[in-house]
Amino acid sequence: MNTAATLFLAFPAVFIISLLFEGVDRKVHARMQKRIGPPIIQPFYDFIKLFNKERIVPVTASSRIFTAMPLVAAAASILGAAIPLSNIITETSIVGDLILVLYLLAMSSIALMVGGSSSGNPYGAIGFSRKMSMVIAYEVPMLIAIVSLAFNPCHSLTIYDVVWTQIKMRSPLAFSYLSGAVAATAFLLCIPAAAMAVPFDIPEAKTEVVHGILVEYGGPYLALIKLAKATSSFALTFLVVTLFFYTPALFEGYVSLGHGGNLLLCLATALAFMLLTITVPRTVFARLKIGQAFKFYWIIPLMLSVASVVLSVLGL
Amino acid sequence: MKKPMIGKPDDVKEIQVDYTRLRIPFGPVHPALKEPVSLRVTVRKEEILDVDIVLGHVHRGIEALAENRNLVQTLYLVERICGICSHSHTTCYVQALEEIGGIQPSERALYLRTLIFELERMHSHLFLLGIMAYEAGFDTLFMFTWHVRENILDLFETITGNRVHHSMNTVGGVRWNVTPQMIEKTSATMKNVEKSFKYIYDVFQDKTVEKRLCEVGVLSGDEARELCVVGPTARGSGVDMDVRRDYPYAAYNELEGDVSVVVRKDGDVFARTEVRILELLESINLIRKILEKLPGGPISQEESLLKLMRKIPEDETVSMVEAPRGELLYFVKTNGREGLWRLKVRTPTIPNVLGLKPMLIGCEIADIPVTVASIDPCMACANRITIVDSANEEAKIVGLDALWRKRRGGEK
Repeated sequence: MNTAATLFLAFPAVFIISLLFEGVDRKVHARMQKRIGPPIIQPFYDFIKLFNKERIVPVTASSRIFTAMPLVAAAASILGAAIPLSNIITETSIVGDLILVLYLLAMSSIALMVGGSSSGNPYGAIGFSRKMSMVIAYEVPMLIAIVSLAFNPCHSLTIYDVVWTQIKMRSPLAFSYLSGAVAATAFLLCIPAAAMAVPFDIPEAKTEVVHGILVEYGGPYLALIKLAKATSSFALTFLVVTLFFYTPALFEGYVSLGHGGNLLLCLATALAFMLLTITVPRTVFARLKIGQAFKFYWIIPLMLSVASVVLSVLGL
Repeated sequence: MKKPMIGKPDDVKEIQVDYTRLRIPFGPVHPALKEPVSLRVTVRKEEILDVDIVLGHVHRGIEALAENRNLVQTLYLVERICGICSHSHTTCYVQALEEIGGIQPSERALYLRTLIFELERMHSHLFLLGIMAYEAGFDTLFMFTWHVRENILDLFETITGNRVHHSMNTVGGVRWNVTPQMIEKTSATMKNVEKSFKYIYDVFQDKTVEKRLCEVGVLSGDEARELCVVGPTARGSGVDMDVRRDYPYAAYNELEGDVSVVVRKDGDVFARTEVRILELLESINLIRKILEKLPGGPISQEESLLKLMRKIPEDETVSMVEAPRGELLYFVKTNGREGLWRLKVRTPTIPNVLGLKPMLIGCEIADIPVTVASIDPCMACANRITIVDSANEEAKIVGLDALWRKRRGGEK
């Protein structure tokens, strides 16, 4: 299969996989609460239903920004998820695409933020300021954790280079290097905030600010925003698998899983990480306040990520 | 601004606009509120500077309706004031009628009233604890608490046939008797739920929950006394009051040694929550005592309800009970012709809602839902009429006096 065709197929694949992941997350969450829960394909039903609904743009909103931002958010996060996915399939990458992926994921949160604040609703404004604090809180440790890859042992910010290093070592990065393990922990701690899951769903806390930045969105716009959120949580978990926990590397030299097997193993690991970092925290914790969340991110994950950079410079 | 000026230049005032302040309408429709109340909150960033409480979105005119009905019809009407503490309302009303008519219910009837009363307290407190967890963003605890609450609702269904409006009380007694099987089921359920309550208490001491609830929405003991707050809201602020102990009614006279009042001094949301959790355990003890001591005998009067109603003379009285949310007070004035001159209901939310202002000022926006929930507001019970003039969007609140004057045609 040529590269262009794979890239083309990666977009619908991202769409289906991320919504399925969301369905699994909702089902497991429900089962942990002694509920039956929705069917796993419920997110698809929701998506279709929302797309058939009326488009409402509030009078107070600046309508162009308000309508464009959900599209930008969805496009950015789908692209952000498609790049690592197609990297694994085609076994190639563009130089420095890790930076591109991180930018795309940040782009999607910023688009949501701007769209919410353009609605003209006071709750949207509060959601905007809360989201801004949250983005500052988790993006910094996340980026620093990625920076540690640029030193030892990969010396690269290209996704497939990192994967290739792991294949050569026959072990995922997090298992073989201390710096890798520390950076992976910092990155994993940042996932719930980036995916806006409880306890860090502060910008869109429904009992406090009525869904904050999403307050005025409905119909197709809301469908796109939901898609953007599902896709970005998939992108984050898949990225953590490719960068730190490339599990197919464990089988390298013993059994050949083939292309499909590698991909499936990666997806299964990504699902496991999503359950661990999104579903479990949102089941067992109460929502934090913005100050508490900010303090948490600037103490534990930031320290961990700085430590990972120091360790990788030292060659550990 | 180059708009043409209206009026003389002297009239144009320089208006200082403070753009750092934001006024958010919290309600009347808001996911954190189960009933319509409007809090107009002024915030700077996340800090709350001022709160304005506006009631009056669900006034139903129940007091006026009661004046057009006979005494027994009113019994069913007052039950519908509140879906959660329906039994408290009927008990309070029936007690007043019994006092006026000189009717003495049997011992067994009083014990059964008390049994339903304590079960109702448990179901109301569990309801609130679930909501508290939900407001704090802890959905799992919310689901678990309401799962436990189902046990209590099942008991209601077994004993009275209804889950919410029990229709247990009647003038001079109660309507349903309990069989030995029901008693067995009740004590079995008590055993089950006791374990769950202890678990809920443990989970509420979880660190993330504690972070949300401790030192939030503080109401000091002095403020609590000044605003006359009642029930768990007052007990959480260190005010030692409970109608069950102070002015015993129903079977609480005989259970005097068993009623223990839970008081916490901190006055924050966590203290109010803790009071409620410990009251759940106290209720289990009371129910066990009631089942143990339950006397035999009839449950209602031999005379028919119609005859009893005719016997009630013209008189007035005040009746008080400790509803799950606090002291509930009824003023009943009968007209001696099977009807009422006046019914005045003072539900616990009326004093408690005033406590919200001192609680909220200085807190963050994130604290509003838990603080509002912590007084367990029941807005439908506490409303006055608001008249909105749609032409100039002016709203004015019509108080009781004005309503009274309007209805009597300036008689008073």
